[in-house]
Amino acid sequence: MERLKEHTRGINELLARYGVKFGIYKNGTFHEQLFPFDPIPRIIPKNEWDILEKGLIQRVDALNAFLRDIYGERKIVKDGVVPEDFIFASSGYLPPCQGILPPGGIYSHISGIDLVEGKDGEWYVLEDNLRIPSGVSYPLIARDLTRRASSETFRVNHVVDNRQYPRLLREVMDYANVGGISVILTPGRYNSAYFEHSFLAERTGCVLAMNQDLFVENNRVYYRDMEGNRQKVGAIYRRLSDEYLDPMTFLPESLIGVPGLMSAYRAGNVAILNAPGNGVADDKGIYYFVPRMVRYYLDQEPILKNAPTYLPFYEEDRKYVLDNLEKLVVKDVAEAGDYGVIFGNKLTREELANMRHIIETESRRFIAQEVIDFRDLPILDTDGVTEVERKADLRAFVLSGERTVAWPSGLTRFSRNPDSFIVNSSQGGGFKDTWVLSR
Amino acid sequence: MGIISLEKADNLYWLGRYSERVFTTLKVFYEYYDKMLDEDADAYKVFCRQLGLPDVYHTTERFTQDYLYDKSNPDSVCTSINRAYDNAIVLREEIGTTALGYIQMALDTMKESKAYTERYMQHQKVMDHLYAFWGCVDDEVEDEENRNIMKTGRYVERLDLSLRLDLDYPHLDKAYRKLSNRVRRLRRPYNDARLYRLGQIMARKENWKEEAGEALLCVNGLFEVDV
Repeated sequence: MERLKEHTRGINELLARYGVKFGIYKNGTFHEQLFPFDPIPRIIPKNEWDILEKGLIQRVDALNAFLRDIYGERKIVKDGVVPEDFIFASSGYLPPCQGILPPGGIYSHISGIDLVEGKDGEWYVLEDNLRIPSGVSYPLIARDLTRRASSETFRVNHVVDNRQYPRLLREVMDYANVGGISVILTPGRYNSAYFEHSFLAERTGCVLAMNQDLFVENNRVYYRDMEGNRQKVGAIYRRLSDEYLDPMTFLPESLIGVPGLMSAYRAGNVAILNAPGNGVADDKGIYYFVPRMVRYYLDQEPILKNAPTYLPFYEEDRKYVLDNLEKLVVKDVAEAGDYGVIFGNKLTREELANMRHIIETESRRFIAQEVIDFRDLPILDTDGVTEVERKADLRAFVLSGERTVAWPSGLTRFSRNPDSFIVNSSQGGGFKDTWVLSR
Repeated sequence: MGIISLEKADNLYWLGRYSERVFTTLKVFYEYYDKMLDEDADAYKVFCRQLGLPDVYHTTERFTQDYLYDKSNPDSVCTSINRAYDNAIVLREEIGTTALGYIQMALDTMKESKAYTERYMQHQKVMDHLYAFWGCVDDEVEDEENRNIMKTGRYVERLDLSLRLDLDYPHLDKAYRKLSNRVRRLRRPYNDARLYRLGQIMARKENWKEEAGEALLCVNGLFEVDV
């Protein structure tokens, strides 16, 4: 470990050299920013990973079963396990996807499950990301470089090699592929995750395409190469949001989509990874029901815990939320990411009263959660020498194809600010490698 | 064979051109810089005239600063390295992260060099990164057509600059031969008549200058193909 700390500067220089950046817009202008790397890894012992791995696979299998059900028979609604209000009022539910069974029956091929480790040593799932979870490329390239800096460190510490991710991703794409080439569809270089799109294309050997490279004819998708030849496309790992995918089905003003793509998808002539419409399963309101899905579809007890969550939609929960608002965190289910997140302990007496009123009148709109006391992780302070402790989360990646696999690593993001729970890269946070030990 | 779009093929071509432009203009800049110091303070005017650049500099000092670093000047070295980067960044999956890294380092070193008073050593590093970039392309870009497109761009630029800068004939002939060999290996269409005519002009050896204008037209019109 000490060897890696000595190489902090060198590793960050290599990350800069290889363009490991993310894009952000400030005052309407695009900037590329480096994502600072901290050499002290998050370490997950084998016994802990064994449980996490089973829990992650179980959770993603249940979520895939839920999506298959919602866009199919909707048995879970008919059986009263999930109220229909939470399905059809969700902005992630896409009526045009109703009745479509994707190739292989998989909806979420690449799932990003955000977890935190509590001070009690328990892991809690904070959020499921089933649309276009990003971030896998950072620990992947960091592992490459840290192994170069001190390969001995990885041998001595019995760290599981995580560099098989591109192969696993390619296997998933090949499994979903209905015949033709596999492409990664990017909105382009000015997307915040463009580094990842191009890096994964390089490592998987897939074609990196923009919308103008693709066209649909007779419900089939083609890639036009430089000689004007058409190449049939069998699988698209799309890195743009549902609403921009196809202007003929979703947002007509989308300039980055592929007109007619949904017709080809509906006809079974192309696989889209992840499937459109997955937002209905990673909605903040639906999160509450994931443990129930595990029991309903798999007839198993959930291995991974949700953060303790209350749904004001239910009277009992509403009463608890109203009585304990000052110690809870309230989330607007319609908002994404950290938007619409309100900490009760930060509200004034008047604001609390106002919030209670809103929750009473719009109970479907919110969920409330206990604030989890994260286990802090050590990072090197800006002087590069002193170790300080900061909040950190973990995004675990789960791949679903012929089988469901949890990638033995993950993106650990941390906050630089000692008082902050926000670990986003755009807020100045950094990332670390995640070591899973083999013994 | 890899599959690439027409747009990516253009990016490969222009990455070749801009990276060569940075390399050659930096090299020639220092030859003129030498002249400006020892012989003729206005030597930069000849440089501008030969390259067809408007003399927006007016003084030697402005030229040595702005020709290198003025981002708003489309002819500056700084603009060229940025254009090389703009083309390279969308080609990671074609040229590879390692090769892209050398363009990134050339760009970063060029930017950092502005803070130095003795800049030559930094600019030498920029050229070294570009040398390494081309070595890496040879070694790591598996697709022959992609390599050919990039190298065609590189040699088009080299011959274009050599013609404009009135370099000696052996240098020019070498640039022409490299371009000619590379173009003939391309699978994409090119203007064979122009390549042939260029060959005729080069065969005139030292007398090529009488047809310099046409030679330039041929070089820059190699991919204007009648349909």
